[in-house]
Amino acid sequence: MNIIEITDLSFSYREDVDALHNVNLTIKKGEWISVLGHNGSGKSTLAKLIIGLLKADSGDIFVDGILLTEETVHEIRRKIGIVFQNPDNQFVGVTVEDDIAFGMENLNFDRLDMIKKIDEFSKKVNMNEYLKKEPHELSGGQKQRVAIAGILAMDTDIIIFDEATAMLDPKGRESIMEYIRELNKEGKTIITITHDMKEAVNSDRIIILKDGEVLAIGETNTILNDKETLNASNLELLLPLKLLYKLDEANIKNEKVKDILWQLSLNK
Amino acid sequence: MKNIIVGQYIPGKSFLYKMDPRSKILALFILMVSAFVFKDITHIIYMLLGVLVILKIGGIPIMRIARGLRPIMILLLFTFTFQVLFIKTGPVILDTVLTLTTINIGIMILAIVVWYYTRRYIKSKFFYMVLVIVGILTMLSLFTPGTVISSSNLTIYEDGLLGASFIMVRLIIIVTLSTILTLTTKPTDLNLGLERILKPLNLVKINSEEIALIISIALRYIPTLLDEANKIMLAQASRGVDFTEGKFKDKVMQIISLLVPMFIISFKRSDDLANAMEARSFVPGNKRTRIHILSWQSRDTLVIVFCLLVLTATVVVRVYL
Repeated sequence: MNIIEITDLSFSYREDVDALHNVNLTIKKGEWISVLGHNGSGKSTLAKLIIGLLKADSGDIFVDGILLTEETVHEIRRKIGIVFQNPDNQFVGVTVEDDIAFGMENLNFDRLDMIKKIDEFSKKVNMNEYLKKEPHELSGGQKQRVAIAGILAMDTDIIIFDEATAMLDPKGRESIMEYIRELNKEGKTIITITHDMKEAVNSDRIIILKDGEVLAIGETNTILNDKETLNASNLELLLPLKLLYKLDEANIKNEKVKDILWQLSLNK
Repeated sequence: MKNIIVGQYIPGKSFLYKMDPRSKILALFILMVSAFVFKDITHIIYMLLGVLVILKIGGIPIMRIARGLRPIMILLLFTFTFQVLFIKTGPVILDTVLTLTTINIGIMILAIVVWYYTRRYIKSKFFYMVLVIVGILTMLSLFTPGTVISSSNLTIYEDGLLGASFIMVRLIIIVTLSTILTLTTKPTDLNLGLERILKPLNLVKINSEEIALIISIALRYIPTLLDEANKIMLAQASRGVDFTEGKFKDKVMQIISLLVPMFIISFKRSDDLANAMEARSFVPGNKRTRIHILSWQSRDTLVIVFCLLVLTATVVVRVYL
């Protein structure tokens, strides 16, 4: 079943340049899809359009069968959570506890229910010992985990990670990626927006955006094997993948080595 | 920045900490009104003693309050001086002639020169205190050799001195009371208390919840923005900007070089934050449930009754004595 359907979506910040041009995309329930692209390719714009923070110039977005309009935007936001890039700019509460509660307060959750959920989801992201801490006492990775807990508490079906690991150190990055994998296994539909291919290799499908247009869309394996498209995308390739391509170019056919490199490319 | 203790909660266990923030805010308000009702210096000194007793029972170190008073020291000295100089009723306490002589001018110039050349090397504040005292003594012309250039009279009246002390004590009481509130109440609780107290304003279409949310976001971003300012200052310093030295014009330019990026960053932040809030289903003006609740105990009622008694007493004293 398709949980998100996007048809002929276009959007521009200025009249002369399209930030997004005729994007078509369907996302299945429980799927993990990565949106890959350079800065300015329109990937964050796509996320903002899906959650109704921006209004499309043309085209339709259906979330769980509901057409996104000004009337339905609040209903749709109950189904989608988003973790943004800058951990500091999305921490609304004065303490961790307040921040996790913020979304639930907006959705008029019962207080006792909120306390239960804060306990449950702070434990899930390993932040239960920090509930009374203020944001300036936390690392970037911890703040992102709080943001994830806040979204999990709102119980949305879809979670968008809009370059959520871009400002984190390697350790923080890996921990967030770990949570993404886990959430996807638990049945959440995940959209990760990134320019780092390493973060996309574990997803089910990859969509590559370039200058506001869809350059390629397909299963992760297919996209990673599509050398021409990847080269055209100007994305930084993973080292094992580069080696694999070089071996191909040099016509070296050692299957064992190739297999190892392929596994490495997939982060396994 | 460390001197500003408004908004700096210090953990503790006394009754002040156990009170509901609403009752603390109300009590503060009532006591402040009382401080303004008093007219007599002795009464307000009794009140100051009362405040000191609250500090003692509440287990708040006086040094902490003194540190909080430091930023308003200039204001206190300023009001005190003005009151002393401009109230001209009651018996005369001091009547002296101020004279400006050539020697006085010489000493002043010498003091300024010494200050200018030694300020880089001498960290001791005591040295400068001596300089200031010498300056004041010179001004008061306790020794006036040399040719007299001009002279004027300085007369201090009893009412002036009492009035000045009265205003100073009243200011100290008000600042101390509000410092007690902020020292014993977490900013979140304070904010929540304010929100509940301002709730009646909803009747005139002023949304207290939104005001509270604005305050809480402002509080939450103070450390972040300070951190940001620090980073920008370091970045500017690494490119040769010196924030401590330089002429007035240079200083203004330096401040601008700090303010412009600060503003741009803050606008970007607020934009991002608004997106994040909206994405989490925040709609301004909509009803929200709250995670924190306040509970009004019998001790809160007692404190309010006590404060009301104090207020009544002050009114009675003002009217009948």
